[in-house]
Amino acid sequence: MSANRWLSTGNYFTSYKEEQRIFATHLDRSVLLCFLAVLFAWPLLFEVSNKQMFVIDNIMIAMIAVVGLNLVTGFAGLISIGHAAFVGIGAYTIASFARLLGDTHMVLTHGWPALIVLAGFMGALFGAIAGLPAFRLKHLYLAIATLSFQMIFQWTINFMDFFDQGQTISVGRVFWVTGRVGRSDHYLFWYYVILVIIVLVGFGVRNLLRTKYGRCLVAVRDNDRAADAMGMHPGLTKVYAFALAGFLAGVAGALHAYLYRGVGIESFTLHHSINYLAMAIVGGLGTLSGSFWGPLAIKVLDMQVERLSEWTGGHLAVATNLATALKPLSFGLIIVLFLMFEPRGIANWWRIVRSYVKLWPFRY
Amino acid sequence: MKKYEMNRWLLILVAVFMITLPTGGFAKVYKLGLSLAITGPTSDAGNPYSKGVEDYFNYVNDTGVLGDDTIDCTIRDDQYKNDITKRNFEEFLDDGIVFYLNYSTGSTLALKKDFEEEKMPVIPASFHAGNLVDSNYIFLPIASYSAQAIGLAEYVVKNNKGDMPKVAMFIHPSAFGRGPLEDVQKAVGAGLQIEIVEVVEHGKDLDNTAMLKRLISKGVRYVISQTVQSPVATMLKDASSLGLIASTFGEEGKLTFLGCHYTGGNDLVALAGDAAENFYWTTSYVITNEPGPGTDAQLALAKRYGRDEKAANSHNYANGMMVAQVATEVIRRAKAKDKEITKETLYQELLGMNGDNAFQPETTVGPVTFSPTDKAGVDTLQLYVVKDGGFQSAGKPFIPEYTAKIK
Repeated sequence: MSANRWLSTGNYFTSYKEEQRIFATHLDRSVLLCFLAVLFAWPLLFEVSNKQMFVIDNIMIAMIAVVGLNLVTGFAGLISIGHAAFVGIGAYTIASFARLLGDTHMVLTHGWPALIVLAGFMGALFGAIAGLPAFRLKHLYLAIATLSFQMIFQWTINFMDFFDQGQTISVGRVFWVTGRVGRSDHYLFWYYVILVIIVLVGFGVRNLLRTKYGRCLVAVRDNDRAADAMGMHPGLTKVYAFALAGFLAGVAGALHAYLYRGVGIESFTLHHSINYLAMAIVGGLGTLSGSFWGPLAIKVLDMQVERLSEWTGGHLAVATNLATALKPLSFGLIIVLFLMFEPRGIANWWRIVRSYVKLWPFRY
Repeated sequence: MKKYEMNRWLLILVAVFMITLPTGGFAKVYKLGLSLAITGPTSDAGNPYSKGVEDYFNYVNDTGVLGDDTIDCTIRDDQYKNDITKRNFEEFLDDGIVFYLNYSTGSTLALKKDFEEEKMPVIPASFHAGNLVDSNYIFLPIASYSAQAIGLAEYVVKNNKGDMPKVAMFIHPSAFGRGPLEDVQKAVGAGLQIEIVEVVEHGKDLDNTAMLKRLISKGVRYVISQTVQSPVATMLKDASSLGLIASTFGEEGKLTFLGCHYTGGNDLVALAGDAAENFYWTTSYVITNEPGPGTDAQLALAKRYGRDEKAANSHNYANGMMVAQVATEVIRRAKAKDKEITKETLYQELLGMNGDNAFQPETTVGPVTFSPTDKAGVDTLQLYVVKDGGFQSAGKPFIPEYTAKIK
């Protein structure tokens, strides 16, 4: 171990325990704490419009969902094309309560923390069910199984009267200790709720990956037969990876329901599943930081392309179809470019920057 | 003497300042917002609609319809996605809009609670009757899809020869399509003499042969569509190639096709070609195929702002133009009463738009009337039919009878 725990410039691990530390140096910990402090403080220092906060909240919800997807796809190596359905399970858990009790019932408006957790468990349950084919299927075959779950989910919601055939089901405004959270505070309130959940999820997943359960995921991904020979149960591990991903997706879905104050099938389609997958790829599969970079990059790109499409569609009447195609085109292009030139995603750029800073002013 | 001179110069300066002070210095800007699909699904309707809104507000500002005051209407593309509409609406609220123009059925239903909470008067491009359920602030510009479908069914009853007409409903797989179906079924329950033999929720089918053959085998003679143009065009082309399109209304052994507002218009003729011949279509808008003050006004506006022929002749251009006219009219009326222009005053003006205060835009076949119990603007409908490659009027404007009976 380095004599100086503030400015370690190399690896000085003398035990596995040291290697598994969450923070390699005190500096790392301090920087993260400062960063978190900034994240908590900045909305109080700067004026942010509701629209901007709404966009930020959306990105953060996607981060939670993508952390889940990264567990199953990045760490466990199982391609899931039905992640939006798991997010939808969480959202529709909240919507079910709204349908059964009324959208302003106390259970929804006061018991929202419990409902968010419940939505997570519902996501985990359906995740585990959808993951059952993993006992027998691998690779593309398993991906198709998750795709079929996505289709079944969409079909069920679209045709069930209970879910209003996919139309938006309203969710009332929640209460906090200061009273009802009105429109003026709505997005700021959910910013803090989502931020707290992200911090918990981030540390939770980081810790998970240090445990035998977390390392099981990676072992099964790298070679499930070898993992089996070493006493792990690949099938169960895969199912449990799906359940974990489902839990985080369910939480994200519940947050989505509360943030939008409504749930409609339009937000949980196959297109959204592909979107989550793209976020995980662009961010960096198998990395925790990638789960944060991916949603940020894709959502920001989306918004910029939307602006360009709007301008093109509005000013060039003949180019409406081109404008419509801009979004899927840019989206597809960015995935292909990342897969070709930076398969390790933005997380790798982040790693390079950190390494550079760590060694600075030396080259190596 | 020096002091007197100074005072005199001061007075002259003040006078000059008063005279040259631009009267526009006190002009007000009223902020409005419109979120719609300029690109993406249904942009074939949304694009001309946005141009109609934009051009009319430009006309208001350029010609001083509101005196020195102007309307600043921000138009945002939502690509037919509720999430983006919500974001756009939040942006408009941050901007302090006093009137909101929305587009799709899905987003109108999704944002209904927000409209209530914000007490924001809203006119959507969706005529879904369900928009008005548990809502105080949503106003449909024209008769609902339900009223349109019922009106078509009534026309079938009146013009059918023989036994009770057998009808199939061809609908969009969403609230937009399903809502009117429920109301037509209610009208049947209330005594409308048609038999709904089959309800087809279309997907993205590229071929409707099997469906059309099935309808014929069940004795269906009329198909009422409540969807958008492209699936109707596909169906018409298939029916045409099978020789199933009736050459006269209700021809035995053939199918007569009818449709609500978003199924028809010039775009349908462009998509379906000759197969669109004898397609019956209802809307509350006048169309540019027929001469009249509405057509003149629409074409003049489009020409003034350099729109191409397609946009200029689109009924969705008229649609956008009309909602902009209504928004302008309520602002004008509130101003005339020396009221401050707020969401509340505009809402009250909308509610008072009835009786002698009904508004008559030239682009509709009847007056716009709103009241606390009537939130559908133009109650009158006009039936059009495609003849020689263009829509033309079939009969006089009418108001469906069963719409009131099922309320």
